[in-house]
Amino acid sequence: MSRVVPNGSPASPPAAPRKEETQVLRILAVGAEGGGSGGLLHGIRQWVGEGGVEIEAAPDLPRAVRQLGTGRWHVVVAVLGDHADDDLAWWVDTLRGATAAPRLIAVAAGPSMGLVLRAEKLGVLDVLSLPVRREDFLRALRRARPITEAAVTLPVVEPHAVGQYALVGQSAAMLDVYRLVARVAPSTATVLVQGESGTGKEVVARAIHINGPVSSGPFVAVNCAAIPENLLESELFGHEKGAFTGAVMRKIGRFEQAGGGTLFLDEIADMSLALQAKILRAVQEREIERVGGTDTIPVDVRLIAATNRDLKDAIKQGRFREDLYYRLAVVLIRLPRLGERGDDLLLLTAYFVHQFAARYGKQIHAISDRALELLRNHAWVGNVRELRNVIERAVIVATDEVLRAEHLPEEFRGEEATLPDRPEGALLTLAEVEARHITRVLAHTNHQIGAAAEILGIHRNTLTRKMKEYGL
Amino acid sequence: MTPPLPPVRVEKALALLPEIEALGPLRALLVSISRPDERSLWSSSGPYLTLGKRGVQPEELRRRMPQAFHVITEHLQTLYRAYVEALECQQRADGTGAVAALVRAGHGEERVGRLSQARAWYDVALRVSQALQDRRPEVESLRSLGELFLRLGQYAEGARHFQRALAIAEAEFDQTGAIAACEGLGDAALAQSQWTGAQAWYARGLRLATAGGDQRQIGRLERDLGVLARHQRELTVAGEHLRRARECFESGDAAEEMAGLLNTQGQLEAQLGRPQAASGAYREALAWLQRAPRDAGLEVTIRLNLAELHLEAGRFLDGEEEMRRAEQVAIAGNLPGRLAQIYTLMGKLRGRQLDETGFVFFEQAIELSRMLEPSPTTEAQVYVEYGLFRERLGQREEARAYLERARELYGSVGDAADRRRVEAELEKMTA
Repeated sequence: MSRVVPNGSPASPPAAPRKEETQVLRILAVGAEGGGSGGLLHGIRQWVGEGGVEIEAAPDLPRAVRQLGTGRWHVVVAVLGDHADDDLAWWVDTLRGATAAPRLIAVAAGPSMGLVLRAEKLGVLDVLSLPVRREDFLRALRRARPITEAAVTLPVVEPHAVGQYALVGQSAAMLDVYRLVARVAPSTATVLVQGESGTGKEVVARAIHINGPVSSGPFVAVNCAAIPENLLESELFGHEKGAFTGAVMRKIGRFEQAGGGTLFLDEIADMSLALQAKILRAVQEREIERVGGTDTIPVDVRLIAATNRDLKDAIKQGRFREDLYYRLAVVLIRLPRLGERGDDLLLLTAYFVHQFAARYGKQIHAISDRALELLRNHAWVGNVRELRNVIERAVIVATDEVLRAEHLPEEFRGEEATLPDRPEGALLTLAEVEARHITRVLAHTNHQIGAAAEILGIHRNTLTRKMKEYGL
Repeated sequence: MTPPLPPVRVEKALALLPEIEALGPLRALLVSISRPDERSLWSSSGPYLTLGKRGVQPEELRRRMPQAFHVITEHLQTLYRAYVEALECQQRADGTGAVAALVRAGHGEERVGRLSQARAWYDVALRVSQALQDRRPEVESLRSLGELFLRLGQYAEGARHFQRALAIAEAEFDQTGAIAACEGLGDAALAQSQWTGAQAWYARGLRLATAGGDQRQIGRLERDLGVLARHQRELTVAGEHLRRARECFESGDAAEEMAGLLNTQGQLEAQLGRPQAASGAYREALAWLQRAPRDAGLEVTIRLNLAELHLEAGRFLDGEEEMRRAEQVAIAGNLPGRLAQIYTLMGKLRGRQLDETGFVFFEQAIELSRMLEPSPTTEAQVYVEYGLFRERLGQREEARAYLERARELYGSVGDAADRRRVEAELEKMTA
């Protein structure tokens, strides 16, 4: 198998920084005239002076949307109404569709900690409390100004092509994977690919198929978790006409479609035990029966299965058949998380940037230090799939040849945000830390209060009280 | 410490719930609190996530049950109070008041999607109104029934009620009633692709509204004429009507009407091949909606139009994001019919990407269009797109079967225009 060869190295010299310091900062202040905002617009005009800032006002969201459509804006200062939460969601949604994605400074009367945390998650630059203080506003504005960013040239990556996909990376963990793929591909052994979501299980399966003895046959992929349970059996094994309501004609299932090739069963852990038994029979006896049919049909397929779950754990819980596990895991390939792949992040970023730049007709050759740092610090729950998504979006919004932090999703930039009424760089208060931690635990437990309280080691009533107190 | 149990999938949760009307609010609550499984968001099945694959925590459902009870109690209170009010009016020999109370109860039923119950209230209101000397309440009852029949897709029946309402309104010099009846007749004709009829009714309504000088009514009829012109592909005329409608609504600061109007404006711009302007109009429509009383149905419509615009431009990522937002709104607002439309569009998107697994969206859409108040029109729309999806993937036999099913469904509701459209597709496939 050919290796990934980056022609540039991560330590390439920085690209020329752009000169944006002189650019006029355009601010649209919405709902800031008189009324509940206490004449905020007047204050803003005085605070920013005249140099390098252009301010316009709009009375409300609809009129602001019309103004946003007339050109490039850098900052929107929006005074939220009585339903601040709702207003915030509308604003974030609106700005997502605006040209050049301006940043939002939200202003609210007595914002709750919950509102601030939600705003932070949504990538809002800052939430200021009414009446707005000059220093708070100017601090928020400073962070909105485009800054000079050093950039590194993106290396040219020659991936190992797998059809329309590619294997990219040269970390030690990935080299192990390549070696294992190279060893197993020439055989017809059943393979189980295990790895978190987005680590590239299907790409590895395709690589095995392409480099294997049945490469001239079809590669048929079935996502077991995507298909409704009541349809999965007929999807896999096919059905005869009239087998059930809606079976208007005979259907050839994926096992038969994959004849002489490879059948890739993705997210296999999501299959019911009854269906697992039928898969086991198909694997053991190399024959199937269509739903509603009586004939036994021989099938000649190479089977590759994949899962993002711990199947041994599922076996212990009685949700996965042990005999099927051992049939599938003749060879087990474990894929590393993106976080374990070190500088592969830069190679993958470069690969995706080049790919999407070609697709969208852009010329992007470098990435700013800050953008790269944000990418490196991100948790990447969705691994390479998430990175690919982020880069595609960034390439779409990029306007010159450097990919910058401002092109990354709001939530990435939100990670830089600070809480209001607190001088820059100051440490968090105990209440702020507590509110953030509760928010994290609630997200982890899918908002199950009982489970969250158990993790936090407090009574559920205490948790409910704290949630109310912080406006979570 | 025992880890929390995984959530139950909605498809399994709904399978446990019998299709009983009394459980409607519980079903709505279950759907609205369902969440995508965090683990599946980035998994390879993530892009195919539908309502059935979302998860629900029984504990959360139990905790939120008082919400469902509150909705039920509030609704029943509205109905009971309306009835008692009608009774008191009867006692005072105030027939007009009694009819108004009964019609109000019907509107309440319509708001929660109980259309057959709404009809029962309107029928009683109509019966009571027919015995009155003042015939305006009868106009109101007939109008409510007409609108209900249009909602049910029974256009001829709707038109019959509006005709009666118009005749009485004109005889009674009830201008508001006459304008509304004209608009209803126009809507019925439009829904059946009878352009000339629709034009005549809207124009007549507009003449009456102009004489009365009510800007909001004038605006509504101008918008209706704009919608009609757009269907007839008379795009310049449509633009003119919409511009005049906008002037009327802007002067009255009518947020909801502005949102609807801008949505039509967006569709017109898209038809004119101006995606940038279309996108701007849709975005502005959404912004107006924020100022109006929450209308989840209209929000879903606008977001779907925006998504379709992205789809046409090949911006699949943006299109999908907008569809997912529409999905959130439809789930929170308990709009299963609209969810069916959203999933149909998602299936269409996958078809464009030649992604066979996209069929899961159509299957979910069919299921949703059959839930509770089944809508043959929605189901037919799903089958049309499902057929086109299969055709795109080269599965012609299946494509034909789905299109034939759509033709059958359109035939059953008397929708000749859409039936012809499907027949044309079938002919194209044979050729």
